[in-house]
Amino acid sequence: MLMGDKMRPLDLYEKDASKKVTIYFEGKALEAYEGEKLPVALLANGIYWITTSLQGRKRGAFTFGPLPVVINGIKNMDGRKTLVKDGMRIERQNYGEFQEAVEIDGSKEVLREVVDVVIIGGGPAGIGATLELQEHLTVALIEERGWLGGLMFLKSIQQEGFEKEPKKVIKELTSQFNENVKVFTGTIALGVFDEGEYFLVPAVKKDQLIEIMAKRVVLATGAVENILLFENNEFPGVFRLDFALEVINKWGVAPGKRVALVGRKPERIIPELEKWGIEYIVVPNPKRVEGEEKVERLIDTNGNVYEVDAVIVSDYRLPDINPITQAGGKLRFKWGYYVPVLDEQNCIREGIYVAGSATGIKPHYANYLEGRLVGAYILKEFGHDVTPAVYREKLEEYEPESMPMQRIEFKDMNLEDVQICGCDVNLKKVDDVVKKGITDLQIVKRLTHLAMGFCQGRFCLFNGALLVSQRTGVDMAKIDLPVARPPLKNVRVKSLARRE
Amino acid sequence: MKGDIVIIGGGITGIALAHELARRGEDVVVLEKRFIGSGSTFRCGTGIRQQFGDEANVQVMKRSVELWKKYSEEYGFPFKQTGYLFLLYSEEEISQFKENISIQNRFGVPTKLITPEEAKEIVPLLDVSEVMAASWNPTDGKADPFHATTAFALHAQEMGARIYEYTEVKDIIIEKGEIKGVKTNKGTIKTGIVVNATNAWAKLINAMAKVPIRIPIEPYKHQAIITQPIKRDTINPMVISFKYEDSYLTQTDHGGIIGGVGYEVGPTYDLSPSYTFLREVTAYLSKIVPAIRELLILRTWAGYYAKTPDSNPAIGRINEIDEYYIAAGFSGHGFMMAPAVAEMLSDLITKGKSKLPIEWYDPYRFERGELRQKALQMG
Repeated sequence: MLMGDKMRPLDLYEKDASKKVTIYFEGKALEAYEGEKLPVALLANGIYWITTSLQGRKRGAFTFGPLPVVINGIKNMDGRKTLVKDGMRIERQNYGEFQEAVEIDGSKEVLREVVDVVIIGGGPAGIGATLELQEHLTVALIEERGWLGGLMFLKSIQQEGFEKEPKKVIKELTSQFNENVKVFTGTIALGVFDEGEYFLVPAVKKDQLIEIMAKRVVLATGAVENILLFENNEFPGVFRLDFALEVINKWGVAPGKRVALVGRKPERIIPELEKWGIEYIVVPNPKRVEGEEKVERLIDTNGNVYEVDAVIVSDYRLPDINPITQAGGKLRFKWGYYVPVLDEQNCIREGIYVAGSATGIKPHYANYLEGRLVGAYILKEFGHDVTPAVYREKLEEYEPESMPMQRIEFKDMNLEDVQICGCDVNLKKVDDVVKKGITDLQIVKRLTHLAMGFCQGRFCLFNGALLVSQRTGVDMAKIDLPVARPPLKNVRVKSLARRE
Repeated sequence: MKGDIVIIGGGITGIALAHELARRGEDVVVLEKRFIGSGSTFRCGTGIRQQFGDEANVQVMKRSVELWKKYSEEYGFPFKQTGYLFLLYSEEEISQFKENISIQNRFGVPTKLITPEEAKEIVPLLDVSEVMAASWNPTDGKADPFHATTAFALHAQEMGARIYEYTEVKDIIIEKGEIKGVKTNKGTIKTGIVVNATNAWAKLINAMAKVPIRIPIEPYKHQAIITQPIKRDTINPMVISFKYEDSYLTQTDHGGIIGGVGYEVGPTYDLSPSYTFLREVTAYLSKIVPAIRELLILRTWAGYYAKTPDSNPAIGRINEIDEYYIAAGFSGHGFMMAPAVAEMLSDLITKGKSKLPIEWYDPYRFERGELRQKALQMG
């Protein structure tokens, strides 16, 4: 079904022909569609390798690490945030290359908003909190991605607790937003700062700085995919599960023609692959992926070789702890991962609430309920007549998912090829420091740069803690975890530089 | 448990001192309430300079650079003499720096005044449109605080020093003016000699020892920023601009652009990075190097300047307590000074005197009202 002369090699269906354009990658003309996400357009044409790390490792768009590319001659553009335009010229670059001559743009006024509640994260929890709060309070809802609904929006299979398919559910819920709600999509929240009686949440949309002042904050900041440790685990053609879902369900492009599923939860993506007829095999014990410019084969720990052109990591999810620690929250180790320490109202500290998978991994519906619950707590605090207990009782039916402890198979792997972090930190580098007797994760971090790069530990800190725990026998709960510092996600210097 | 010399504080000062004392065969213990470097050292701006405006700091820093070079070569941690470049924007600034340069030259520090064009040759990305001259010393440099501190600690331990982390000092036991021991959250250590190397927390330790003189050291929050790593050797020296809020910036060994501004909050023990800083530092650093505008910010963080009224540390013996020493109040210069301070203070402890001008840092000067010329300070 992937074939058809009107389609590119990995298109799942025909796209709107009126938007067909030509782009040039490394000088080669390719078919693309206006407004398509750049790495998706390249993927549809069978191109996976898009950028190169500082250490010279080939990188694609769908695992971890940044995606700097040269666009129309300008270096260090973010490939993941680039949408296709006709005639666009794209070239590969190394992470270290940057634009030396820059334009000093005119002054862009800072946008200022004052609301009762700012909600960071527009997944089911953020939507639930918004719907609960909007009856009585003003809300600013900030979502980093270009759509609301989070990971649920990327699924096409009906989710437990909801009665329709995900996109319809999200559309129906968000269409109920009233005039009290301001939605900011494609907007990065930089952190939560105390500002007298208020909290200040600065955010950046493209290069526009927005300062949001609010009396209460809801962190509905969600979870991240657990990074699986195997050789060349960030090679072009390896997909993080959320990226695989995005290319399939948002953009109508297959990750590959023959896909290997690795990780402990293949059931998270199998229904989606079957729905589209994408051929897959499940490989529970990956050791190494190999290929020239993209995945060509996967080798398992028994030496079996699988000829595939993509690998999807379908494992557990972990709460994103960075927004929690940046905002001053403490962590504890429960259900096999780190979660925020919450009081009875789901607060990490006075005025800052947490809802959704950030508090523990649960079905989308439970996250939605928890959003409503937190909304109700806030309404109650503001003196409104609500009964949070209704949500609380329903939510109690959902115990967060437990993640079994993994073991890193040091002796079976070439540790230099196992990337613990997208910033060229491999397992050997970290393990060598620990083996020298430096076992404090705080110091391991600083000597290896683990958790000091682009993701600030969002994806790599857990595996760092796991390594230290496994090598030293120290309980995961006792490890001193570094806290995240603002900005929570990478923004450019110019978007913050004060104008005179 | 016992130790002949107990150093309180496992930052670069305490660790370098333990290293030097252990090298001389002394029995030494370091007590650190969290992990080594966790106070201010691991939060520092990495710079090491001899460009000061007074004789004492120039001499001490000249020795410090010699020691940085020696130990970085022996232990293999990153220390590079990539220079300090002060950008000067007015005749007034230039004449002040000419005076500083003549002092520096007198002690063999090869600083010179260069033109804006020459500055641009050293850092091609600089915007020198408003720069009139620059003060340039190629022998200043920078070191990686993580690898340096860890290397000093590991080698100190190899030579017999004991470093106890997550060990917090609760009290100092003194009988008839003599130190008998140090109480910690993990038990008491018998000792006769205590060194207060706690910098931002120095006043708390002084209070425990009932130091009878006034040594004003207060913690101020200073912040720093780091960008995405870019190709090596893009910005080698530490670049300073007093015009733009006492800014500094350089490229770390890892490749990121690290920098800070003079924005200060305090006295406070709070270390949460602030939004005001983010707005200021991004504006000022991109005035100095416009290309920074397009780089991604990785993070910001805060550390302490443990400040004294004249921005010089208090280093010396407190005569009323047998035997209590202090090396604290570095006012933002603790990292760069540490190897020389370790040598000076080891001399004082083991020989009763030092060849370096330790009296400049006399802890009694505040009590006597003999403040020094303010040490040149930025960021």
